Amino acid sequence: MKSPSTSVSPPAKSGSDSDRISAPSAPGTRPFARRLLTACALVGLALTSHAAEIRDLWKERLKSVVAIEFFTETELDRRPTVIFGTVIDREGTVVFSGAAVNARSTPTELKDFRVYLPGENVRNYASATYIGQDVFTTWHYVKVAESLWPSLVPITNFAGPASTTTGVQLAQDVWGIALRAKDEDFTPYILSARISLMQTIPQRTAVCMDDVAGPGLPVFDSKGVFLGLGMPGFAQSYLQFSQRSPSGEQVALVNIGETGAFQLADEILPYLNRRPLNVYGRSVPWFGWYGLQPTDPEVAAHLKIDIGVVVSEVLAGSPAEKSGLQPRDVVVAMDGKPLPRLKPDRVMVNYLVREVARHAIGDVVKVTVLRNGERVDVAAKLVEEPKLFREAERKYFDKLGFTAREFVYGDGIMRRAPVAEHQGVIAHFVKANSPAATAGLVTDDWIKEIDGTPVKSYKEAIDQLAAIQADSSRAETVLLIRRGGDTQVLRIKLK
Amino acid sequence: MRLDLEKVVLFAMRSHLNERTSVNLSKCASTTLRWVLLGVFFLAVGALSAQTTGMPKSFNELLNAVVRIDVREVSYDTGVKRFSAGVGSGVIVSKTGLILTNAHVASPKAIELLVTLSSLERVGAKLVGWDHWTDLALLQLDLDEIKRRKLRFTHALFGDSDKLYPGQVVYAVGTPHGLTRTVTRGIISNNRRYFQDNRGVRGYETGEFNTWLQTDAAINPGNSGGPLVTEKGAVIGISSRGYLGANNLGFAIPGNIARRVADGLAHDGSITRSYIGIVPRELLDLEGFYALALNEGMLINSVDPGSPAAGAGLRAGDVLLAIDGQRVDGRFPEQLPPIQNAIASRPVGSTVVLTVKRGTETRDYSVVTEKLESQVGEELAFEKWGLTVRKVSKAYARNNQLPDATGLIVLGVQAGFPAAVAGLSHGAIITSINQQKITSVDVARKIYSAYEAKPEPTLVEAQRFFQVSLYILKP
Repeated sequence: MKSPSTSVSPPAKSGSDSDRISAPSAPGTRPFARRLLTACALVGLALTSHAAEIRDLWKERLKSVVAIEFFTETELDRRPTVIFGTVIDREGTVVFSGAAVNARSTPTELKDFRVYLPGENVRNYASATYIGQDVFTTWHYVKVAESLWPSLVPITNFAGPASTTTGVQLAQDVWGIALRAKDEDFTPYILSARISLMQTIPQRTAVCMDDVAGPGLPVFDSKGVFLGLGMPGFAQSYLQFSQRSPSGEQVALVNIGETGAFQLADEILPYLNRRPLNVYGRSVPWFGWYGLQPTDPEVAAHLKIDIGVVVSEVLAGSPAEKSGLQPRDVVVAMDGKPLPRLKPDRVMVNYLVREVARHAIGDVVKVTVLRNGERVDVAAKLVEEPKLFREAERKYFDKLGFTAREFVYGDGIMRRAPVAEHQGVIAHFVKANSPAATAGLVTDDWIKEIDGTPVKSYKEAIDQLAAIQADSSRAETVLLIRRGGDTQVLRIKLK
Repeated sequence: MRLDLEKVVLFAMRSHLNERTSVNLSKCASTTLRWVLLGVFFLAVGALSAQTTGMPKSFNELLNAVVRIDVREVSYDTGVKRFSAGVGSGVIVSKTGLILTNAHVASPKAIELLVTLSSLERVGAKLVGWDHWTDLALLQLDLDEIKRRKLRFTHALFGDSDKLYPGQVVYAVGTPHGLTRTVTRGIISNNRRYFQDNRGVRGYETGEFNTWLQTDAAINPGNSGGPLVTEKGAVIGISSRGYLGANNLGFAIPGNIARRVADGLAHDGSITRSYIGIVPRELLDLEGFYALALNEGMLINSVDPGSPAAGAGLRAGDVLLAIDGQRVDGRFPEQLPPIQNAIASRPVGSTVVLTVKRGTETRDYSVVTEKLESQVGEELAFEKWGLTVRKVSKAYARNNQLPDATGLIVLGVQAGFPAAVAGLSHGAIITSINQQKITSVDVARKIYSAYEAKPEPTLVEAQRFFQVSLYILKP
C-alpha cells in the first residue's frame, strides 16, 4: 500500500469506511485483488462472522498503538519525522524502532515529540518526552503526557502464555494494525497475511506472504494474542526494466508504511523493561573489537570450524586489547557457546554485537578464537564505551558557516589515528556557499590547527572560533585540516 | 589560474584502435567523409593561395622525422592478461634512431612497438625507457632492420622552449585518430601552465616536476607523443593531452624538459629522482598570514607520514623559505614544479637543508632524500586463479594509511575462476596467502607456482577499507 508520504493517492473513493478497512489498497490494484482472493479462499463462507470477531479484537487493540511525530533541529532547518509506536505500560511509555532516528543526530537535536491517537483529529495531539535508545534492542523510548494515559492500553495486556508465541508456525494466519498518513488523521486499518518464512537474523523473525502491519506496530493471531512487532526497512528485491535499463536493473523496494516482517514477541516482551536511564542510552558495554567479518562456508570448512567471525582490529585501550585478543583472530565461540550458524553470513556480525550489548558493565566476556590453527580463550571485563558520536558536543558558527564537533574515540577509529593524536575538532556540518565551504572545508574534515595554534581541546577550539567570529575587524582565519591521510591549509575569508 | 583536475576531465591524447571514434570514421565514409574531404580541399586551396611561398624547407624536413607508433601491450585490469592496441605519434630526435614520444603511448607494458616512417615503411622499435612524471618515453628504432631493408630516416632539431611567448604560432604534427601526418596550427596560449595529476599517465603520477605549454593547435587522441614545432620546424614541445569537451585546450611538455629527460633516458634507461615527502602549495595571498615578504616562501600543505620530511620534523602548515640556502618563491602554482625539481634533482641519499618558518620561528631542517617511487607497483597475473594484482608500493601505502608496503591490490578477477568464485573483487588488498605475509611479489609468485604444480585449496586474507576477510581459492 501507499507510503504515508505519498498522500496524493487517496484510498477507495467509492467504498464505505468498513470497505476501506478490510481492503486498504486502492481498488483495481493487484495487491487488492490478491488479498481479497486470499481472504475468500481462506475463510470462505464463514467470512462474515470471522471478520466481525477480528474487527472487535482490532478495535480493542488500537489502544496500544500511536503515531509519533518529532522534529530534528539542525543548524539550518527543522525536519519532521513521523513514525509509529507501541504502548508498553500504563504510564504512557511507547517504544519505536531504532532506525527512525538518523545516527548523525544527537538527542538534543530531537525536539517537540507529539503523540497522535489513531483516527483522532490531529489537532488533539499530546506532547511526549524522549527517554533514549536502548543499546541492546535499539528501540527508542518516549513517555507520553499524563493526560493521554487513560486512552492507552499496554501491549502486554494482549500477551498470551509463552507457549502461544513460541508456537508461531509457518502458514499461520496473522493480522496486524497499520496507520494511514497524518493528513488522514492516522486512520487505523487492518492488514492480514500468512507466515511464509521464519528466520533468525539474529532475532526470531517471521516473514509473511504480504504486508502484515505498520512498521513498529503489533501483529496478532486470530484470537488476538500479541505475536510481535512489524519490522521497518524490510526490503524486497526486484528487477526493474525500463528504457534506460532494458536488460533489467536490480532494485530494492521498501514499503515505508507497511511491512511484511515482524519480530516475534519472545524477542520483545522480555526486554521491554530495558528503559534507558538517560537520553544517550548509557550504560553502553564495550569490548573493543572492530571490523567483524564472517567467514563463508568454504573458509569455515577449510579452517575446520562450523562458522567463525574475523576480527579486523582490536581497539586501543579496550577490554578486548587487555584480554589479549589480536587482529585477525577468528571468533568461534562466545561465553562458552559455539557461534550459531545464522544466515545470511552478515547476520553473524549483528549477533556478536548483540551478545556484547546483552551484558552489563563489569561482566566478564569470554571469547574463544582460532589463532594460527589453535584455539585460544580470552576474557575481559566489559567497561563503558568511550564517548559516542551522539554524545559529542557541537557548536555552530554561523558567520564561518560550519559546526565544530568534539573529537570522540570513534573519530579516531574512522581516521585511523593513534589515541595520542585524538585531538582537534571535526567539521560536523558545513553550510553550502558559506565562507568555510568556499574555502574548501567539507563535512567530516578534521580541524587540527586554527590560525596556526594546534587544537588541544574542544573547549579551546570553541573559544577560539567564537573569538574569531566576534572580531568584526578580522579579514580571514586559517585552518589546517586533515582529510584522509593528507592535510591542507584552508583560508576562510571573512570579509 | 590553477587547473583543477577534479573538475575537468583530462584525456590523454592516445587513440585506441578499438575505440568508437575510429569506428565512426570508417562508418561515415560514404557521404559525410566526402563532404569533409571537399571541405579539406577548399581549405587547402585557400591556404595555398594565401601562402604562395609554402612552408620553410626545415619544416618539411621536420615532417619527415614525425612517425606513427602502433603499440600492442598487456593489461592486467580484468583478472587475466589481455592485449590491447593503440596508436600514438613520435618524433625521431637523433641520427641513431631515438624516438621521443609520450609515456602514455609507450610504457614498459608494451610488447610490440611498430614505427611508421614518413616513407610509409614500418619498422620495429624497442623501449629505451620511460618517465611518467613528465609523460615522456624514448624508443630506439631497430637499426639492423633499417640497414637490412636499406631504409632512411631523418631526425628533428630542438628549438629553445624557454624563449616561447604567448601568441607565437606553433604547429602540432601527429597521427590523430590514426590519421597519419596531420598538421594543425595554433598559437602558444600559455607558456608556463601548471597542473599535476596523481593518476595522469594511466594511473601513474605526472606533472609534479614540469610546467606545460598550452596551445590552441588542435590536438586529438593519437596526437600524443607528436611534436609541437615552430614555423621553422624546430621541436619546442611534445603534445600530450587536452581537455575533453573543450575547444582546443591542448598541452605539451616543453621541449627543453623533453630534451633533458630524453638524454637521461638514453643514458640510464630511467630518470632517478629524490623524494622527501612534502606536498607543496602556492602561497597566493597567504603571505600576510604567515608574515612573509612578497615573493618569498612556499607552503607545505601536507607531509607524507613516514617520509624523510616527517622524520626530520617538518609539518603541514610550515613555510619553506630556502633549499640549501637558495631562496624559494612559490607564490603561484606554476612556480611549484621548479621548486619540486630542485629537490628531486638531488642525488638520492643526499642531505638537503630546508629553511622553514613555523609561526614566528625560522630554523633549518636537514632531510636525507630517498629514491622517488610511484604509487603504482608491479603488476602481474595469476592466470589459474583468474586474478590480476598490483603490488602495494611504499608510496601507495603512505597515501592510503597502510602500515607498510605489504600486500597486493586486486585489479580484476575473471568470472568463474577461483578468485571470483571465492568472492575477491577489484580493490581488495591481499595481505597474506596460506598464512604467509605478502611482503614481496616473489612470495606470491612462489605460492602460485606451488599451486600450479599441485592445485590445493588456498587461504587468502584480504582487506577492504581495513575490514579483514578470508577467502578460499579452490581448484
